[in-house]
Amino acid sequence: MILPELLPILVIALYFLGTVLFVVGSALRNDRLKNSALVLGALGFALHSLDLVHIMTGADATPGLTAGRFLFCLLGWGMLLIFLLLWWRLKLKFLAVVAMPLALMLYITANATVGVNAKLPPMLSGLFFFLHIGTLFASMALLAMAFGAGLAFLHLEKRIKTKAGLKQFQKDMPSLDTFDRVNHFVALCGFPLYTLGLASGYVWAWLAARRVFSLDPKELLALAVLVLYAYLFHQRLAMGWRGRKPAVMAICVFLLTVISMLGVNFLVPTTFHGFKP
Amino acid sequence: MDKSIFLIGLNHRSAGVNVREKFALTNVADFEKSLLAACPLREVMALSTCNRVEILVVADNDRCEGVDLPEAVLRHWAETCGGQVDALRTHTYRHVSMDAVTHLFCVAASLDSMVMGEPQILGQLKSSYRKAVETGTARVIINRLLHKSFSVAKRVRTETAIASSAVSISYAAVELAKKIFGELAGKTAMLVGAGEMAELAATHLLASGIEKLYITNRTYSRAQELAKTMHGEAILFESMVDQLRDVDIVISSTGSPTAIIRAKDIREVLKKRRNRAMFFIDIAVPRDIDPDVNALDNVYLYDIDDLKEVVEENMSARQGEAVKARAIVEVEAQAFATWLKALALQPTITDLLKRAEDVAERELAKTLKRLGDVDDETREALEVLVSSVSRKLLHEPICFLKRRTREEGTAERFIDMTRRIFNLDADAVIEDAHLDRRTVDDEAIDCECCRDEDTSPARDKTEMN
Repeated sequence: MILPELLPILVIALYFLGTVLFVVGSALRNDRLKNSALVLGALGFALHSLDLVHIMTGADATPGLTAGRFLFCLLGWGMLLIFLLLWWRLKLKFLAVVAMPLALMLYITANATVGVNAKLPPMLSGLFFFLHIGTLFASMALLAMAFGAGLAFLHLEKRIKTKAGLKQFQKDMPSLDTFDRVNHFVALCGFPLYTLGLASGYVWAWLAARRVFSLDPKELLALAVLVLYAYLFHQRLAMGWRGRKPAVMAICVFLLTVISMLGVNFLVPTTFHGFKP
Repeated sequence: MDKSIFLIGLNHRSAGVNVREKFALTNVADFEKSLLAACPLREVMALSTCNRVEILVVADNDRCEGVDLPEAVLRHWAETCGGQVDALRTHTYRHVSMDAVTHLFCVAASLDSMVMGEPQILGQLKSSYRKAVETGTARVIINRLLHKSFSVAKRVRTETAIASSAVSISYAAVELAKKIFGELAGKTAMLVGAGEMAELAATHLLASGIEKLYITNRTYSRAQELAKTMHGEAILFESMVDQLRDVDIVISSTGSPTAIIRAKDIREVLKKRRNRAMFFIDIAVPRDIDPDVNALDNVYLYDIDDLKEVVEENMSARQGEAVKARAIVEVEAQAFATWLKALALQPTITDLLKRAEDVAERELAKTLKRLGDVDDETREALEVLVSSVSRKLLHEPICFLKRRTREEGTAERFIDMTRRIFNLDADAVIEDAHLDRRTVDDEAIDCECCRDEDTSPARDKTEMN
């Protein structure tokens, strides 16, 4: 079949064009360009979904699910899914500037890691797979949005606070309150998802290897992330944190998850999570 | 048929306020009529505002040979205002032909205004034009020129950021509030003290959708008075800090020699309002609000100097946008020059015949496609048929135009009308053009017989004079 071979190139081209068009559209303050960029992104997303379905239902489905390509593919897809949801629910078009390049990067990474396989534990069932990986990926995608919104918040807040004056593109940016709402949404939805993902991971580990902690760096980092995430969740919802502090926190948590996702998986030998060619 | 357009005027740069008030035209319509009677001109339109006087004139070249028209207009203007011609001459500028067009476009697009990008001038120009139409001194060329200048102004407004940032202190404050809170609907503001600028800022906030306005003053009765005019709620000065927990935006302008809102009060207030953002606008000198308030998280404090700086920066940003705006003006001035050149008998006849030929060719091609294979004889017969139908159909209108050209003063009106009926200048006419002038609400403007996708007929663009 020609389609599966062309699919990755098409998806990459669409995401790339979408990203470029969105950035150019933002620079030129042209709504039509931005909207066409989003249409391209959505088209890429549709093809991306098709690609995922193809991997999952293809002849080699079972090894496919553990392949690095599939996992990165899924993560990139999750990013865009979360973006589209945020766009639909909260009308946050500007997050495209985070979501599309990330989805592009992850999709390219996915296609570069063909042949790389995660060493998966036994007793991997579909339910656990989605409880563990689905939830963690969704919370990572949410964190990515909070990361982008957080950076934008810090930048804009500094300009307003120090009275440095707003340039045209800062005037076109959404308000501080909008960025803060993204952070709130991410803390609210992301933390329960992350907890669920981690808890299911430990149950899975217990079922698979009869021990909960194997003290590998991945698990330790994940726990650190969980603690920080919990802190953010608590301060934001119980103590009424707003603005700069939760933005900084979300940026830190996201960077830690990136380290735990990429750094640890590729560089440090771990029990379950290493990607080994 | 040769026309010359020129424009004489003075503005805030060329003349001081004493000259401007002396030579302002109090009755524009009378001036236009008397000028038309005094000088051999075809069309006149005058605009007189507190910052400028512009007199736009169209004349026939052959009628005014040997007459120094600008000088005659200047003399008439000075006479009308009872001033010296020499005094007026030193403070006026003169623009001829395309320079006049460009200048008028710049004025309409607010590129020539004291506060560049301010919207009032366009309204003033529109009302002057309406008056000139009513007086009957604006005809074909001024009609077209003014309509063009309105569309140039619109293009400049939408395609450049010339009017996008605030250039007054009170607007700058509202703009900042929007940057912090997003939509202002549902937000609450408090006005502490009174003062023109503070009240103006509060009015702008109310206009932007602020839900509630509290007003406080050391003299409670003054607060009550203001509350009545601004539809706010008066509160006691002593309970101001307690009330702050419900307030998002504070505008302060009291005569107090010391700070009345201190950082430690606000720290408590913030706890009570769970860190929801607050924006303080301190217009008072000496300042009412402790500058340390700005150091608190989620609190933003701007004093009068900060706001002035914002305004100055916005002003210089507008200067940058003006370059883009001038490019638009140049392009549109060129388009106007092309139209002006075509407003003569010969080019119009050529354009008409070409339009008919185009339509005939297109329809012929369609028919031949539908017929399939036809012999050369039939094809030739068809070709002759369509071309003679189109030419003969235009024969009478062309003869009519030729007859009008021999008459004094009517030719270009009919030429313009013809160009508009056949849309020879390919103007894009929007659906709801001149909606206010329609008397019958008929939806079926589209002709059922022959609209092609690539032609946009001039519809419902009724004559102004």
